[in-house]
Amino acid sequence: MVTGTAPAAPLSPAVFAILLSLAEGEKHGYLIMKDARAPQGGGLRLGPGTLYGSLERMMRDGLVEESGISDDERRRYYRLTSQGHSVLGAELERLDAAVSSARSLGLLVHGGRS
Amino acid sequence: MTPAAPPTEGLERIYAQALRLYPARFREAYGAAMRQTLRDALRDRSLSRRTLIPLVLRDLVTSLAKEHLAMLRDTFLRPALLFNAMVLAAISTVLALALYTIPQQVLRQGANDPQIQLAGDLAARLEQGVAPADAVPAGSVDIARSLSPFVIAYDDQGRPLASQAQLDGKTPVPPIGVFNYVRQHGEERISWQPVLGREHGVRIAAVVQRVNGPQPGFVLAGRNMREVEAREQQVEQMAGLAWIAMLGLIFVGTAAFGWTTRQKPA
Repeated sequence: MVTGTAPAAPLSPAVFAILLSLAEGEKHGYLIMKDARAPQGGGLRLGPGTLYGSLERMMRDGLVEESGISDDERRRYYRLTSQGHSVLGAELERLDAAVSSARSLGLLVHGGRS
Repeated sequence: MTPAAPPTEGLERIYAQALRLYPARFREAYGAAMRQTLRDALRDRSLSRRTLIPLVLRDLVTSLAKEHLAMLRDTFLRPALLFNAMVLAAISTVLALALYTIPQQVLRQGANDPQIQLAGDLAARLEQGVAPADAVPAGSVDIARSLSPFVIAYDDQGRPLASQAQLDGKTPVPPIGVFNYVRQHGEERISWQPVLGREHGVRIAAVVQRVNGPQPGFVLAGRNMREVEAREQQVEQMAGLAWIAMLGLIFVGTAAFGWTTRQKPA
């Protein structure tokens, strides 16, 4: 049950990286950590404590939920809720606007990172 | 078994011990998953130990602090819990004020008990035409040192006619406003710090009565409040201690209630 309220943008780097990772589909903790560490995932070095603390608060805010499936009883899989999708979309639009602005100012060359 | 297994197991064991530092609810909910996540990270050959170990250590420090703060917030900063504690604190404050004010007023009123009769008797004698020098008992009470009650007779302008007491060698005179009030209302009960005795910190509990008849004037019966003020101070200290004790009990009770009704792991 969704009992919390969605966080107002901008999202924290950890929340954004987790939402972005789960946008691809259900994942367990280490896969999320790995995605977050990748440059396209935000280049964020998440540890297990920060990851599960963030996931707990995101579940309370109704952004993610446990999928209930597991390949191992100790691995827990998470997925985005519809609210999580909305919040991620809003954050991406906000970032896109900032990037467009930076590009119009000549601060970014072409698409930025190749 | 993979070649990396022994060091992995050692690090996992250390990490499992470190997980004990997290709040119980968080550890019970996520401890196993966190260990599994570390195990997965240790098995990932694309992630070197030199990168992983500092990352995990830094994460332990920051997330431990964060989760303990979150636990404290969730346990003790719930609005209903805080509201109850505030209401109880307000009630205990009112009770403590009553504990101070009621005995303090009883002591203050009691401080006038002999003076009421003394002033009434002296006023009656003066109204019968007895001369002030004869009506006022002989003897000299040093107000700064003695706790004995004393009487003073004043004329209609508030000038001393006869006095049983002295303060710094002089007869104390209440403010003119007191005489004006008594002239209209017949009697006034005051606690008063004469200018004369200010350096001694002398306060006097006094009853001032109107003297009617052919030679109108005023009588004052008073006594040093030193002992009464000492008792008032004791009452204040006891009420203060009771207040602190009540607040302490509310704090402990609120903390215990918050702890027993905290959110349990799903």
